[in-house]
Amino acid sequence: MIRRKLTLAAAVVTVSALSLTACSGGGNEPAADLTSVSIMAPFLEAQPPSADGAVQKKLEELTGKDININWTPNSSYEDKTNITLAGSDIPQIMVIQGKTPGFVKNAEAGAFWDLTDKLDKYPNLKTTFPDIQENASINGKVYGVYRGRAPMRAAVMFRQDWLDKLGLQPPKTTEDLYKVAKAFTEQDPDGNGQNDTWGITIPKWGALGTNSPYDLIEEWYGAGNRWTEKDGKLIPSFETDEFLEANRFVKKMVDEKLINPDFATFDGTKWNEPFFNGKGGIIVDVDSRVSVLVNLFKQADPNNFQNKVGFVGNLEGPDGELHAHPTDGYSGFLAVPKSSVRTEAELDKVLEVLNTLNGKEVATLLNNGIEGVNFTVEDGKAATIKPETSEGKAVSTDIKSYAQLGMNVAGNNFYPVKQASDYEQQVFDKRTEVMAEDLKSAVYNPAAPYVSATYVAKGAQLDNIVADARIKYLAGQIDEQGLKDAIKLWDTSGGNKVKEEINKLWQDNK
Amino acid sequence: MKIHNTTGGRVFDAANYVFLSLVGIVTLLPFVYVFAGSFATEAEITRRAFFVWPEQFSLGSYEYIFSTPAFTRALITTILVTAVGTVVQLAFTVTMAYPLAKKTLRGRKLILSLVVFAMVFSGGMIPTFLLVKDLGLLNSYWALILPAAINPFSLIIIKNFFQELPAELEESAKMDGATEIGILWRILLPLSKPVLATFALFYAVGIWNDFMSPLLYLSDNSKWTLQMYLRQVTAASDLLGTGNVDPNYIPPEQGIKFAVIVVATLPILIFYPFLQKHFAKGMLIGSVKG
Amino acid sequence: MAAPVVEAEASGRAATRPPARERKNAKFSVHFAHYKWLYLLLLPGVLYFAVFRYGPMYGVSIAFKDYVPFLGVNGSRWVGTQHFEDFFSNPDFPRLLGNTLILAFLNLGIAFPLTIVLALLLNEVRLSVLKRTVQTLVYIPHFLSWTIVASLSFLLFALDIGPMFQFLNNVMGTNIDFLSDPAWFRPLIVLQEIWKNTGWGTIIFLAALSTVDQDQYEAAIIDGAGRFRRVWHITLPGIRSTIIVMLILAIGQMLNTGFEQIYLMTNALNRDVADVFDTYVYFVGITQGAYSYSTAVGLFKSLVGLVLIFGTNWLAKRFNQSGLF
Repeated sequence: MIRRKLTLAAAVVTVSALSLTACSGGGNEPAADLTSVSIMAPFLEAQPPSADGAVQKKLEELTGKDININWTPNSSYEDKTNITLAGSDIPQIMVIQGKTPGFVKNAEAGAFWDLTDKLDKYPNLKTTFPDIQENASINGKVYGVYRGRAPMRAAVMFRQDWLDKLGLQPPKTTEDLYKVAKAFTEQDPDGNGQNDTWGITIPKWGALGTNSPYDLIEEWYGAGNRWTEKDGKLIPSFETDEFLEANRFVKKMVDEKLINPDFATFDGTKWNEPFFNGKGGIIVDVDSRVSVLVNLFKQADPNNFQNKVGFVGNLEGPDGELHAHPTDGYSGFLAVPKSSVRTEAELDKVLEVLNTLNGKEVATLLNNGIEGVNFTVEDGKAATIKPETSEGKAVSTDIKSYAQLGMNVAGNNFYPVKQASDYEQQVFDKRTEVMAEDLKSAVYNPAAPYVSATYVAKGAQLDNIVADARIKYLAGQIDEQGLKDAIKLWDTSGGNKVKEEINKLWQDNK
Repeated sequence: MKIHNTTGGRVFDAANYVFLSLVGIVTLLPFVYVFAGSFATEAEITRRAFFVWPEQFSLGSYEYIFSTPAFTRALITTILVTAVGTVVQLAFTVTMAYPLAKKTLRGRKLILSLVVFAMVFSGGMIPTFLLVKDLGLLNSYWALILPAAINPFSLIIIKNFFQELPAELEESAKMDGATEIGILWRILLPLSKPVLATFALFYAVGIWNDFMSPLLYLSDNSKWTLQMYLRQVTAASDLLGTGNVDPNYIPPEQGIKFAVIVVATLPILIFYPFLQKHFAKGMLIGSVKG
Repeated sequence: MAAPVVEAEASGRAATRPPARERKNAKFSVHFAHYKWLYLLLLPGVLYFAVFRYGPMYGVSIAFKDYVPFLGVNGSRWVGTQHFEDFFSNPDFPRLLGNTLILAFLNLGIAFPLTIVLALLLNEVRLSVLKRTVQTLVYIPHFLSWTIVASLSFLLFALDIGPMFQFLNNVMGTNIDFLSDPAWFRPLIVLQEIWKNTGWGTIIFLAALSTVDQDQYEAAIIDGAGRFRRVWHITLPGIRSTIIVMLILAIGQMLNTGFEQIYLMTNALNRDVADVFDTYVYFVGITQGAYSYSTAVGLFKSLVGLVLIFGTNWLAKRFNQSGLF
């Protein structure tokens, strides 16, 4: 009985499938003469900019084109990307957020133009950081104009008032970090007479290669950045002795209760809370969090917030050297789909638009806003006009989204933002200075440009083996041998193949 | 109706009332926290783990989300789409459920089996998208309503309900020369108010909470519904620490997140008490017998 | 109440509608003419299912392909049953199946009956204000996303500082890290599920309860039946068919444990018990871009669901209960 029904269902399915294929063919529009450009981009704010806003109008005026931006919520961007590529109504420019396996598959199937030899013709698209462009490529093939991001951002931030009270110096080495954390835990830094503080707060971000506190400390110990060269071969950084040493160091801090006891489960969205509330005095994260923390203290007490947050950059490892941890220096790229831009001539026009977007005028609009409406230039910085008009406010809100279109492949082509107060400006300047200094000692991921087929297929699962073992080891559920076993398991479950493929790509491109 | 109460009954009543009140409080408190948090400053939310009344009252979060017309527009859109969609979907479901409730109708079993099959299997996101596109429904509000016009689960429950209605009612109407459509409209529907109210609520909430359809089918932001904004603020923080986030990204403040939750949830919460009167006990049978 | 009514309906129809009932082999055209209005009513629904439900059904074919969005469903390469073989031979498969089933049975065995209990308790309340207020309140959590539920759970159960941790620590002297202890993962998940969806689930039972014949209660009171006997002998039988239908549907959906809730509560220390089909599908589908593979897993889940629905429906019929159809 049931079988008969299923047969019928199958028949219905087949019939409708046929009718669908029939009507989804065709629909190839003739080549557009580019009076308008459509762009798909993510927005990260609570709401996208409005299509008739001042920034949009100015953008169209400066580029001389109708710019149709399809803003898509960041939280489901990948879904929408795949849907869009499956349909026939594809934008001419798509912001791609990273080399996800989904993107790699589409790109290798020929969904996007290979721009490797094309970008240098356009003055604003020619990068001054070829290494970063290489990082953003798939095995050397450039499928988009990368969106540059400051590569150096690792920082150690601490409660300055606690440090002062205990008469300590800011940490310079990982050993100093241990000492400060120990003092914050045991010497009652908040002076309430109770043993209710700890040193470092770590959230549950345990995945590999996410610039987590673990990744940072491992790199400071000299384990490398995801991959490292040893005896003429690339190996994953967790197969180095330094990786084990670094984790022994973290485990010592966990065992001595210098780290929040719930580090394996602590909610990352609440990372600021223990710091702000005087529970845990140290955060190891990106330097932009410094300004977020300063802002929180300012909001709580506008008259007395200057002495709460201190920070330093990367720390020296036990070998006395600074192995600073950079990111790959980009956050996705702007790619041009082949199904909407069909000929080289069309591609040229689209790239010209991208070239304009990257010019000083448009970059300033996308990142700073409209001069005289929401900002003015003071000593080479963009200062927000106070009091904010409603028009100015709308522009300031909108550019947070428009900045997603910025590429900055030749450095930032716009004004740095002037901070709200002198103190905040000092903090900001110090951040810039510290990060510029650390960048000189950056140890990059040598395998960043390479995409291994095995890794695309099962890399996330493989990495989980090691990432989970790392946390289990720190929590005392397995010993060091258990951690080593997990790393071996990574090898035998497919990791050896990944290593082989990465090394081959590396050798071929050397 | 008067029910004499024994001592045991009174003890049970008291215990039951206390228990249910506790349940009510436990389910309400978190929402109160979200509500209070939407009026608090970021510093206060960071400092106090849980509170039901902000110490420092702030409208900042609401000023932010209403600084552009987007939210007001989305609120109106959502209400309209939900209202129209609920009526359309309920009409589709009821008209299909009624014939299927007739056990003598040929083809009934086959259709019901296909309905159950469709409840379990689906073609997936992309083929559905292509279908909606080919029907010319992209960027149309109908794309939020038609693809979900009949929920197989609701269809089956409503069908079962019709099946249990006393047959004499229909028979007498038939004698008077009414067609099946007339019977459905004039006799069955008025009798089915509790069930219709229930499924009106289910459909309304389904449309209200739908996030994937507007995401996939509406590329024009000015047509978006509230869920697009709600999802954006609540889901974005899930991604933190997964390594796939723009490092320049600073997640929205908690207060803004709370305010968006309040704006996107409160209207549909208020909807329920209005429907509640249709759940009145004994209404159906009383009217049948009377 | 259900059974007698159905019988009455059937017998009533037998008396007044001889054509359809007695001449079973009558030509379809006669049958159709007799039921033309009903077939007309059926038409929009049937069209809907044909177009919107069965139209896209060819999409399941990507379970047998190596699907790349850019190449489309038809353009992607066939790989046969490769994905199913990979899935069943995956060393994680037994663990995923076990975890999914345990959670599914906990939800069916605890959360499902609790929904009925709560509906019955609400039904017993005669204080109208209380009843309406509580009804409205218990359904609020359904509207809060899992992100909120998870962050509230972190707040309540956090090691050392969570109120629940402190309470149990003070009262029982325990020192449980609820959030990372694998033994506490499932209780937490079921608790969240109960908190979030029990109140919402009562709605359908409350609607069913509103159809229970009040006269029967009066008769029972005259017979001297107490509160619990009335619930047992009148109320529960009155909503039995609703309970059975809901149960069959819940069983059909039991492998769908949901992804977001579990994903949010998973961490390195409890992952061994936390991984279920839905989180696995998310993981391989989204983070590894294996759409075909995750569709294959979904297809497997759907098949199991279909078997369960038809199986339990058949069982219900055997025990003379009204099933789905």
